[in-house]
Formats: sequence, structure tokens, C-alpha cells
Amino acid sequence: MDNLELLSEYTLFLREKKQEGKKVIAFISHDNIPEELLAAAGFIPLRLIFAGNDELMDASNDYLPTSTCAFVQSCIGLFSLKPSQYKFLDLIDYFIVSNHCVSDICASEIISKYFSISRLNFYVSYTKNENSLKYFKLELLELKKKLEKIIGTEIHDEDLIKSIEKYNNLKKKLLEFSSLDIKGSEKSKIFQKAMLYGPYFLPELESYYEKYINFQTSESVNSKDILLTGGSVFINDGLINLIEEGGGNIIFFDSWVGSNYFSQIFESAILESIENPYDILVHRFKNNIYGDHSVPNFLENKITQIEKIYQDHLKKTGRKLGIINHIIKFCDHISIMSSHLKNRLQEKGIQVLNLERDYSRAIRGQLATRIEAFLEMI
Amino acid sequence: MSLIADEIVRFSSVLRISYNLLTGRDYLKRKKFREKKKLISVALPFSDLVYGFPDLVPVFPIRMHQFEMHKYLTYLGSASGIFGWKTVSNFLGFIKNLGIGDINKIIDEIIENVIDTVNKKYNEMYELGIENGVPTDFCYGIKSLYGMHVSKGKNVEANLNYTIRCSAWNKYLESLKTIENPAKQIWVDVPPRNIGNALELLTENLYDGIRELEKISGNNYDRSILRNHFQVANDIRSYYKTILYEISTSDFYPCNPATFSEILVILNNSFQDYNSNAKRYRDNMASLVKEMKERIRNKIGMDVHNMPRILITPMFGGWEPKSHEIIYELGGRALYADWDVLLLLEDIPITKVSDPVEAYAHYLMKATTNGIGCDNDALSDSYLRIAKKINADGLVFIELFGCHSVSNCFSMLKEKIRRELEIPSISLTFNKIGENVEQVKTRLGAFMEMFR
Repeated sequence: MDNLELLSEYTLFLREKKQEGKKVIAFISHDNIPEELLAAAGFIPLRLIFAGNDELMDASNDYLPTSTCAFVQSCIGLFSLKPSQYKFLDLIDYFIVSNHCVSDICASEIISKYFSISRLNFYVSYTKNENSLKYFKLELLELKKKLEKIIGTEIHDEDLIKSIEKYNNLKKKLLEFSSLDIKGSEKSKIFQKAMLYGPYFLPELESYYEKYINFQTSESVNSKDILLTGGSVFINDGLINLIEEGGGNIIFFDSWVGSNYFSQIFESAILESIENPYDILVHRFKNNIYGDHSVPNFLENKITQIEKIYQDHLKKTGRKLGIINHIIKFCDHISIMSSHLKNRLQEKGIQVLNLERDYSRAIRGQLATRIEAFLEMI
Repeated sequence: MSLIADEIVRFSSVLRISYNLLTGRDYLKRKKFREKKKLISVALPFSDLVYGFPDLVPVFPIRMHQFEMHKYLTYLGSASGIFGWKTVSNFLGFIKNLGIGDINKIIDEIIENVIDTVNKKYNEMYELGIENGVPTDFCYGIKSLYGMHVSKGKNVEANLNYTIRCSAWNKYLESLKTIENPAKQIWVDVPPRNIGNALELLTENLYDGIRELEKISGNNYDRSILRNHFQVANDIRSYYKTILYEISTSDFYPCNPATFSEILVILNNSFQDYNSNAKRYRDNMASLVKEMKERIRNKIGMDVHNMPRILITPMFGGWEPKSHEIIYELGGRALYADWDVLLLLEDIPITKVSDPVEAYAHYLMKATTNGIGCDNDALSDSYLRIAKKINADGLVFIELFGCHSVSNCFSMLKEKIRRELEIPSISLTFNKIGENVEQVKTRLGAFMEMFR
């Protein structure tokens, strides 16, 4: 399935849901947005996980300077230009302004203000301590209140629990799917689709899983194993193809669209032991220590996490993993730590490529050269 | 620069503030080694909590550097120790009036040195930041601050970190841990919005920060000490606002407008840690206001009624310091008021809230909600609010390269200015001091034409 087909299918899906009377809440995708709550209130959560191009980035320059994160530039560009395959953006009823990073705030605010989409807020503390967990709960309850006002009825705890379970099942299946020995590009498409559709995608995901489990291609024999960390690879991005064309295969997707999403699974014991569903979501926020939003231990946690994955992989397969740290141009979170992440991992004998890029076509050749050179080194 | 130097030398309080700004290293060495006090690094005007502990000294890290200070300023400093600053200042003014060429030159050099040496050091720190791994994509302020910590961070016991809406800022604070032998980090999480009991949470977070400071200090927190400091801090804010809104809006200035801009720059820099001594700073601010008012009353200074007031903002993260001179040469007067745009010149409400920590939480929350932490809609309203308050005739907006927070709302702001203020505005891009002076001249030249 190519991206055009995915987007066109998704347009039909959203139209169908709108006809059923559902409303759509969009947000710039990040790992602390409680999509379960949105779904429990009867909304369709729409994560903006679409990559950019020159035209989309250029279109954002009426609103923000060019030295803005290429991803959020592209998000603004999508609303400004509304390319034909993204017409489903017209179906959005609400937009969440959140603070994953300051570019998230600015771009979400611009999208809401200039494209006349009603705004909802959901802000998250930067540090992880008892009080930031309490604050997270405040935000959840505030959002709940707003959603209830929109729908005119209460969101029952049972509905939220059911929603949490549904997303949990989706994530569990994605986790299983992620362990298949298939091409990274195939995995990535499934991850993207799952995050776009949410639990509606579960039956399809199960059939994909059944299909692929019998047709694992042993990609790893013929290619270099890669862990992709840093910025996500979004829908319509050719980066994974470049890596595969250069002889690499992404085994681990350590990003929003990837393990950062499906690793946030609640064990049954947690679901059973925590009565209040909002506390379950708080528990997830607390445990989300690998997400790039939080300070002050992001770098330490990330190094520990990558080193563990690297060692486990080496032990299991006898093969080394190369690390590609994907830095979307002008990303505050990933960029500032990039040289330190690289140095620290290289000290441990783990090879790292800091791959910085925007979404311009012109950079493709340069990216291919850098990726090929890195893969040769592994 | 000679006209600026000529004016500054007549304000003994400015000389004192400048001297204290530049001689921080000696002062801090004395505090650290002789008096056994401990240094706590702060940035942005977030030093107040540290003043709750008399044996802790807040420092904006650039002040730990040795500046290439003019030797005569050192002599002046020594002389002031004996004769007092006012006497020294009067003496210099007297000598200058005699028109003795060499002495005039020396005095000009001294003042020029005060302004330029800080900027030169900023540029040095900027380069050091990049050399030590800060990507070039980040703003001037963050690169310089990182450089300051690389070079001088080892002298401080801790960094006092407040989370704000700028993600680059929060991540930069974490990145200080990557520097060899990093100082302890004390974090105060500021909730992004004032919802529910967020204020209470912030108060608790401040208390957590205080407990960490207690550990470093070895002394217990004493609310009366903090409360007294907040009174001093409020006095400073009050004097600052008098200069910004009473004096800067008048038609007669106590000095030429370029000097006035220079004073605002010095205040902008020194306000972050009050030159490590809040009471001394408060006294100097009081003298400054008094001197300015006296000069105005005695008609010493300059009639500026026909010079357009140009608000230059935001400049705290980096801007071209030649801007105000250029504007002055083009017939305008440049004003800087960043800290009030970000609501950091608001009073800490100790008269309304009995617990000083809770009062500080109120102050921080207000700044977060409507100033330094708000969204662009509210932030652009803040720029408008200040432009109105100072009766700005024009606004120069600094689009700081790599800033994704306070200097990227020009499109929104421009629209509001057009609609609500109907004054001309222009944006100037900035990357590094001195890099683009010619372009700044050209752009400001075209801009100032609008006032003729």
C-alpha cells in the first residue's frame, strides 16, 4: 500500500465517522496526549504524523520564521496549502494546543487561530516528580471537563477504562508485530497506519501479523541492522527507503512512531490495581522516561536504553546495531543532545550517525551519501 | 561613542552598576574564598530565591569572567573605595569639562570598554558553546550561556533551573550536565498553566528547591530573610519601572537618548542577578533614579520631544548592540523593556500573601501565564501592552535566529500592531553580535525614514 492509498482510505474512514456523528480532534503527535480519553468521549483522535516537503515548509513562512522545526513547518503548510490528498484535514473540529516543545505550542496555536479550528489545551510539565504527576492529572481532568462540555454528557470511568484497554490491545499487538523479521519500511507503514486509525486498525493489524509471521524474509541476513532513534519517520517520508537502498534495515524504531508508542503498555496487574482510570494515565506519564520531552534525565535514560537494546541484540544475533539519530532540522529536543549522545555511545563502542535533515528534496542526495558511508563503516 | 561616554560618566550610579557588573570576578572570588560563601548559577531574572540564604551568592555566569577592563576603570574603582563614587564621578566630569584631550580619551575608552567588553565576552562564550557541542541552530543566548558554563561552571555549587515554556531552554539546562564535573542541578518545575491547585504545586516545588538550597547552604531557610529580600527586589522593580515608564516617556531626558539606551542595556544585563548583591543594586538603582530626576529638574540633559520612541524587543536572548546608536544617529531614541514584556518586573506580592514562598509562586505563575510562559497570542499582546505603556512610535522586533519561543511571533504581532497601534514596525534578524551591522544600518535607515 502506498501513501496515497493510505491517505485516500483514511479520508473515507474519517468521512464515514463524521457521518456517524463523530467529531475529530487533531494534535501534533506526541507521546503524552491521552488519546484514550478523546476516544472515550466519542471523538476520533487524529495524530498529525505526516512528513513535509519544500512546498509545505515554504507555506509556513507566512507564520513562523524559517528557523523553525521542519516538521511543524510542514504541519502548518498542510493547513495552509491543503494538498488534495490531505483534504480530510477539513474534517477536523478541534485542535489540541500542547507543549511537547515550544514549536508544538506555536504551530498548534497558529493552526487553531488562522485556520479557524476550535482550540483545546493540554500542557505537560517538563520534569517528573510527584507534583508534575499531580499536575498531569489536573490537565487530564481539565480536558475531561472541556470534552464533556462539548459532548454535553459525562465521560464515564468505565468508558475510559474500555478505551484504555482497546489502545492497550493495539499496542500489545504492535509490540508483537515489531519483533517480526521483516523490512523496516513494511513495519513503519504498519506503525503509521496503526497510530492514524487507532484501535479501529486492530483487526487489520492481526491479519497483517498472521500474514507476515509466515513470510518473514530474514532481511537481517542481507543488510546492516539499524536502530533509528530521535525524530520519527512520518507518513510520506522517503528516509527509510534511503536507508534500505543503502543496505540498511531498521530493526528498532525508537521514536514516537515506533516503540515510544507501543512500549507504553499497561500490564494487567496495573489495570487491575489502579481503580481510577485517570491515575492509570498518570502512571503511564510517570513511566514515560524515554520520551524526549522530559528533563533532566533524558540523555542518561536514552543512553542506557540504547545500550541495552544494542547489547541484547548483539547477544541474540551476534550482530552489531548501527544507530541513526534522526534529527529534524531545528528540533530543540533531539538536536541539543545529539553530539553528547553520539560521543557517549561511541565511547561504549556503539556507532552513531547524527543525521540532520529537513524535508527539502535537495538534501536527498546528501542524506543518501551520509547513510551509505555510515553503513559501510558498520 | 564619545557622547555616550560623556553622559554616562556623569551618572555615578551607572558607573557603580557597570563597575559591579564587570568586576564580578573579584567580588565573587572574595565571597567564595575569603568569606566561604557558595555561588549559585542563575540565568534570566530568577535569582530571588537564592537571596533567601545569606551564605549563598547568585551569579549570572558571565560575571565570573575576567573582563578586559580598562586599567583606569580599575583605578576608578580603587579611588571610589577611598573617595566614594560620587566624588570620583564629579571629578571626572570636571576634568572632562576642562577639555583635556588625553583624559577625555581615557574616559571615553573606559565607558566604551564597559559596553563593548561585555559583548565581546558574549561572542567568546558563543564560540565556546559551539566548540563544545551546542548545535549552531540554537539561539545566541543558549550558545553563549553554555559557553559560560563550560568556562566557569566549575566555580558554582549548583545551577538553579526553572522550567519555562521554551523547550530549548529546558533542554539546555539539562545539557549542562554534560559538562565535565557538572554542578548540582536544582530544578523548580513551573506548571505550564494556572489550573486547579497548580499554584499550590508550584509553591511546593519552590519549597523543594529551598530544601536543596538548604543542603548547600547548611543553614535553615528563614522566611523573614526571604521576605526582606523580596521587599528589596520589589524596590528594584519599582525603580526599574520608574526609569522605563516615567523617565523614558518624558520629553526631556537626563542624558542623550543613546546614553539612555546604554543604561537600559546595562540594567537589562545586571537585573538577572542584581550584580550578586541585591541591596547594593537597590541602592544604586535608587541613586540612578534620583540622579536622573535631579538632572531633569535642573534641565541638564536633552530635549527629546521630537525624537520618535522606538521599542526594540526581544533583546535578552541576543541582539545587535549597535542598534540604539544607529537609531540615535537617525534621529530616534531606542528603548528596551524586555523584562516587563515577560512580566518579570511585576511585584512579588508579599503584602497580599503572607508566606513569601507562596507570594513568589504567585509572581512566577503570573509571568508564566501572561509573560514568559504564555502562548504567542498572549505574548504578542504583551509586546503591544509595553509599546502602549512607553508610547512607542515604532517597534523593532528582533527575530533571533534559532529562537522558537519569544521571537517568532512577529507575523501575529505585526498584524496586531497594524490593527491596534497603527505604528510602523520592522523585524531584524540576528545571529551574532557584530555579524550584520551594515544590514542593520540599512534596514533601520529605511525604517527611520518613516518618521520624517
